[in-house]
Amino acid sequence: MKWNEFTESAPPPKQGREVLLWIIGGSAGSFNPVRTFLQNLPYHPEVALILCLHRLRNSRLSIADALKLPFPWQAIEPDDKTTIVGGHVYIAPPDYHLLVEEEGYLSLSVEEPVHFSRPSIDVLMESVAQARWPRAAGMLLSGANRDGALGMYMMKQAGYFTAVQEPQDAEIPTMPEAALALFEPHRRFRSDQMMELFLQALSL
Amino acid sequence: MFPEVLPEISDSDLEHFFQIMLSQYGMDFRGYATSSLKRRLGTVIKRYGLTGMAVLNQRLVTNPDYIDYFINEITVSTTELFRDPSAWIALRSQGLPLVQHRPQLRIWHVGASTGEEVLSMAILLKETGLYEKAEIFATDIDRRSLEQARRAVYPLRVYKGYEQNFIQVFPHLSLEKYAHVEVNQVFFDPSLLDRVRFLQHNIVTEGTFGEFEVILCRNLLIYFTPALQNQVVTRLVDSLTEGGLLMIGTKESLFWCESARRLSPVNEVERIYRKRSSP
Repeated sequence: MKWNEFTESAPPPKQGREVLLWIIGGSAGSFNPVRTFLQNLPYHPEVALILCLHRLRNSRLSIADALKLPFPWQAIEPDDKTTIVGGHVYIAPPDYHLLVEEEGYLSLSVEEPVHFSRPSIDVLMESVAQARWPRAAGMLLSGANRDGALGMYMMKQAGYFTAVQEPQDAEIPTMPEAALALFEPHRRFRSDQMMELFLQALSL
Repeated sequence: MFPEVLPEISDSDLEHFFQIMLSQYGMDFRGYATSSLKRRLGTVIKRYGLTGMAVLNQRLVTNPDYIDYFINEITVSTTELFRDPSAWIALRSQGLPLVQHRPQLRIWHVGASTGEEVLSMAILLKETGLYEKAEIFATDIDRRSLEQARRAVYPLRVYKGYEQNFIQVFPHLSLEKYAHVEVNQVFFDPSLLDRVRFLQHNIVTEGTFGEFEVILCRNLLIYFTPALQNQVVTRLVDSLTEGGLLMIGTKESLFWCESARRLSPVNEVERIYRKRSSP
């Protein structure tokens, strides 16, 4: 199949609230499992991923550049009020909180860090629940602080699928442990099960 | 319910809040982006130990003395000296040269917060020899932040970060030229504010008050819906002289703003624009 045949035959990506949001939160020790997962990501034009991974402020490394996404997925660091479109991987930009708005776009905020983190996973996940987004799922990986625990809990309370990395599988277990101390997610997973989980949750 | 969970705010409570702010205080929050506004309101409710949004609304109705504190709590005052150094470098090397020949430089900082951006501009103008012909207006909705801006005194913990930013913009200078540390505070040279006027002003409801060669409005538009962004940017572009500069936050976008057609980019990455000449 030629490239243009593929793009002509592929269904157009969904936009705004029709998109299924797959939120991934993580900190120290989460980047490699996430990168491996994304390398083989099957294309789903109805799904957008949002990555909220802590990193050093003023870090010169752009996660968007470091990820090798299979065509035609696109990774971007969104500007404020970027319309959510399927087939995209949105990466929370450094030193901003990233929030989902019920009107179907992403917005940014520079309010105080939460758990010393900006972007904060809690802020992002809480906004998904507040926006009563129709379809979403949350995943929390390795990390050295407790950001994300509350956000994941709020996502579960709001009826979304949640999955937390097994602490013994995480490079740094603090973040998954904090979440598991707060609530029991739908699934616990090892990093090599991320794809299986993703496909399973899509069929829910 | 866990103590950290922010309270749920219903649509009707939010609608009531909009009405109170509008009728009692003349402030219009209807165009604010919902998720961050709800988050800020939730934080205030929690901090004051209130049981919910209805109680906060009641307090706003019965206790007008509380309004300055409330505005200070819900507005985001995050700012830094030379925040995003590369944007300031671009302003110096690509932006200011386009307007520096003018007889006067009227500069407006919209959402000046605690004043670090104004100090950055004053330092930049001093270093480029333009300060004497500048007239700087710094406005914000938040009276308490403006009070701090007028004092130009900051807690010591910010110094290191400010110094790092400063050195990126002025590698051959030391911040000590403009600021000194005493006990646990940082004092900026008061002469930086000689040509600065601080005014409480609400860009959403009050419109503009003059013509400017340079307008900075950084990380304020992010709290507005696209419709309000469009209104505010139109107001800002109207307030620019031909060829005047507009600088917004580096992650802000003019995508939703019709009036962006009246601008051309000076540096798209750093979000510095110039008002086109009228045909």
